[in-house]
Amino acid sequence: MKSILPLPIASGAIAIALASVNALPAFAAPPADADLIQRGQYLAAAGDCVACHTTPGGKALAGGLSLPTPVGAIVSTNITPSKTYGIGTYTLPQFADALRKGVRADGQRLYPAMPYTSYAQVSDDDVKALYAYFMNAVAPVDAPSPQTELSFPFNIRLSMAAWNLLFLDSKPFEPDPSKSAEWNRGAYLVRGLTHCSACHTPRNVLMAEKASRDLGGGEVGPWHAPNITSDANSGIGGWSERDLIDYMRDGRAVNKAQAAGPMAEAIDNSLHLLQDSDLRSIAVYLKAVPAVRNDEDARPAFGWGAAADDLSGIRGVPLPADPNQMSGPQLYDAYCATCHQSDGQGSDDGGLPSLFHNTALGRTNTNNLVMVLLDGIHRLPGASDILMPGFAHELSDQQIATLGAYLTQRYGNPSAAVTTAQVQDLRAGSASSFLIVATRVAMSAVAVLAILVAAFWMFRRRRQGAAQ
Amino acid sequence: MAQDLSADIVVIGSGVCGLLAAHRLVMQGASLLILEAGPRVDRGRIVAAYRNSAWKGNWMAPYPSMPWAPHPNYHPKDNGYLIQAGPYPYPAEYIRVVGGTIWHWAAHAWRVLPNDLKIKSLYGVGRDWPLSYEELEPYYYEAEVKMGVSGAPNTGSPRTKPFPMEPVAEPWAMRRFRERLAAGGYEVVSNTTARNSRTYDGRPACCGNNNCQPICPIGAQYDGGVAASAAEAAGAKIIPNAVVYRIEHDPQGRIVAVHYYDPNKTSYRVTGKTFILAANGIESPKLLLMSASDKYPKGLANGSDMVGRNLMDHPSSSLTFDAEEELWLGRGHQSPSSINTFRDGAFRSEYAAFRLDFTNISQVRSAAEDLIAAGVYGPELEKQLRYRSAHQVNVKDVLEVLPNPENRVVLSSQKDALGIPKPEVHYALDDYVHKGMAAAKVEYARIAELMGGTNLRYTPDGQYANNQHITGTMSMGNDPKDSVVDRFGRAHDHPNLFIAGTGVMPTAATVNSTLTGVALALRTAQHIHETS
Repeated sequence: MKSILPLPIASGAIAIALASVNALPAFAAPPADADLIQRGQYLAAAGDCVACHTTPGGKALAGGLSLPTPVGAIVSTNITPSKTYGIGTYTLPQFADALRKGVRADGQRLYPAMPYTSYAQVSDDDVKALYAYFMNAVAPVDAPSPQTELSFPFNIRLSMAAWNLLFLDSKPFEPDPSKSAEWNRGAYLVRGLTHCSACHTPRNVLMAEKASRDLGGGEVGPWHAPNITSDANSGIGGWSERDLIDYMRDGRAVNKAQAAGPMAEAIDNSLHLLQDSDLRSIAVYLKAVPAVRNDEDARPAFGWGAAADDLSGIRGVPLPADPNQMSGPQLYDAYCATCHQSDGQGSDDGGLPSLFHNTALGRTNTNNLVMVLLDGIHRLPGASDILMPGFAHELSDQQIATLGAYLTQRYGNPSAAVTTAQVQDLRAGSASSFLIVATRVAMSAVAVLAILVAAFWMFRRRRQGAAQ
Repeated sequence: MAQDLSADIVVIGSGVCGLLAAHRLVMQGASLLILEAGPRVDRGRIVAAYRNSAWKGNWMAPYPSMPWAPHPNYHPKDNGYLIQAGPYPYPAEYIRVVGGTIWHWAAHAWRVLPNDLKIKSLYGVGRDWPLSYEELEPYYYEAEVKMGVSGAPNTGSPRTKPFPMEPVAEPWAMRRFRERLAAGGYEVVSNTTARNSRTYDGRPACCGNNNCQPICPIGAQYDGGVAASAAEAAGAKIIPNAVVYRIEHDPQGRIVAVHYYDPNKTSYRVTGKTFILAANGIESPKLLLMSASDKYPKGLANGSDMVGRNLMDHPSSSLTFDAEEELWLGRGHQSPSSINTFRDGAFRSEYAAFRLDFTNISQVRSAAEDLIAAGVYGPELEKQLRYRSAHQVNVKDVLEVLPNPENRVVLSSQKDALGIPKPEVHYALDDYVHKGMAAAKVEYARIAELMGGTNLRYTPDGQYANNQHITGTMSMGNDPKDSVVDRFGRAHDHPNLFIAGTGVMPTAATVNSTLTGVALALRTAQHIHETS
């Protein structure tokens, strides 16, 4: 279903792809060698192109996925080598400009939902490999993807030129000779293809990453992308390299954390397919990222809680007729204890995680806890058999709030709060409606300003032309 | 209350047969309204209620019985809903909630044998079905994919495609049964069950809570909640607490509406083009009988006088004994393995065929109850309880009952809280069953011997447990004079009334009836789609 295969399988698949390419002499792209294509495939996995450019159950890289943003839904495009609907006619320079500058072959600007501000770091060699992969080994899909249709002024793509002036650093990655090769490789991947900052760096009201808090924690729709700087409490400073590698490869680090939501997708589609040496490089780099500390983080998120069993206190107590009046222990007994056990310790083999020493319950920001209670954890078929059921259909906002508060009090960070209003917002799919309004206003202002500047400039030119 | 009380297709009853038929039809573009007498329930509340129940042996206890939609309950004493007219008891358990009785099954999802559908022709007993195994096979497979079924490939039911998944890992006790009984020529195989051995359809794999009945606490086992969510997600609408009490027809005999009471006995009329009655083998015939009119004085769909007759189940007797070695039942799920070699043969002209089933339910509770009742206490209680929990095992038979018109559901003169007649069952078991039981008993003795068994405790001769496989009461057949529905489940007397559920099965065979009921319901749905 996904085009990206683990490397050992990939070479065979590419051999087949090449054989079919050779059988089609009319194929326009220049012949590329198998190694280059294979490297491109690996890099495409690192870049996680499928995450946005493939719909669930849809054809690989054929686009059509609607990405909710504060300015409206941006629909991903067909990036298969279809000549009609994809990028089949792109030259290498055009491909490189789209990837690194956010400019399409027809000169129109891409919206920064495409992480070209990160991809700008990708080296010329790697762009060549990606190009070879896309042109030679991706199956063309001759079907259009739906158009992005934003309302005015966001539909004026030219306004993105102004945005790029403000926020696009188009210099490719330059190694730091004072650092190790591992650090440099990690920096190249994290800042570039794996575009970690796209989610893990907070954004300002103009939707641009706040450089001062690089990797200090951001929002992805209703999910919180945690601080992954080297800070011991707020970030991943307390994680070993092994923990980080396990987490990136499997979505699970024992006695620390489990991946859910968009991070689980990123692991299953991308990080899961990277070589251990690259995962190690990423770990090395992350552990050296300048610390961003949130003052309220008194301990690492995984450092809270202990086993506790409150169930004997509710035996023989009738359940309230109104489910909203169920207590924390009653909700825990009904919905959690079967897997996480009466005292929250999980299963002996760790397959069902403990609730204490678990980042899910240790953060001050409880959005991910609420999201997991609502949606559960669903990994991609073939990547992992981990599953936690979600309770969105069974539990009300108030029940989730009661349960979430009980869990953080009993097994996690006691200063973390879960409120009914928060659950209501997250259930509706947004982290904070205020931020969205602020962003829409600010982005409108930039777009309108850009249009006015452009109009004024054209007006001047015409005036000058008329005067001559 | 702006409810749209009209739909292309109106389904009465939200059990698995009605829900899966509805799901299929709504996916094909029809509008669907499902009326359920009972309330909505959710897994967590049932789990919590069970953990809090003083009656752990009563699997009905955690399910709420509403005054407007009571269901049978026999512990600590009979609640008097299902009236027993005798001479044999028929203490059927069924649940009137959204999702129906499949909430508390053991997930047995068997196919019948091809010969089960023609025992009259082959053995001169019972009735033949109006369709062949081959006609049913694609719908069996569709049901298996929907429900996530796995099982042994060699139980006598041919398949055109493999099971959608592998069985759950074999528990230690079942492995020892398989190994030790092989010496006696017995083949112990994995049961065919709707229980996940891996992540499937967004539900987790079984992790061995040994709590399948009364409720799988994690949804690894397919259940009524899964079926209801799927139907609703596809666009079907479920109205809970809607107690249908009358089906209305026009002068030509077409069904035009059904009438239901809400809990306050306010009446509503629901119209539709096609109606599916799927309220189980007792409540469905009750409703047909209650809907008698001047034109149909014996009740609807009852020109044959067969509505409510031929009531069947699978009576069970058993042997409990202490195995030679420690087996510790209770690890893994409750019902993993069985012997399937007595389900067919020339003997069926003389006595009942059967399947032999090994329980894997933890013996701690039952052993403790037995020992305390026997007056054992103190250190001796702990010692004996430990021994029995490790060694005690049980094998039971699942016997085929033949259809008998005198075994039947009728309307009782007693009424429930809404003034609706309670169902009354008349039931007797004959020598065909008793002789089958005697044959099973011979096998019990051999099995106990091969397991080095001691302390053998047979259920008394002539005493049987009920298995809640309510079948036969609206039998399908080609002849309108002796059957209620045709081979597609359409009532002979009403062209737009269909019946879905195990009640249309003409015979009961030797396997749990759910999967066959679902397969027949899916086939009915396809027929409705093709003809309306």
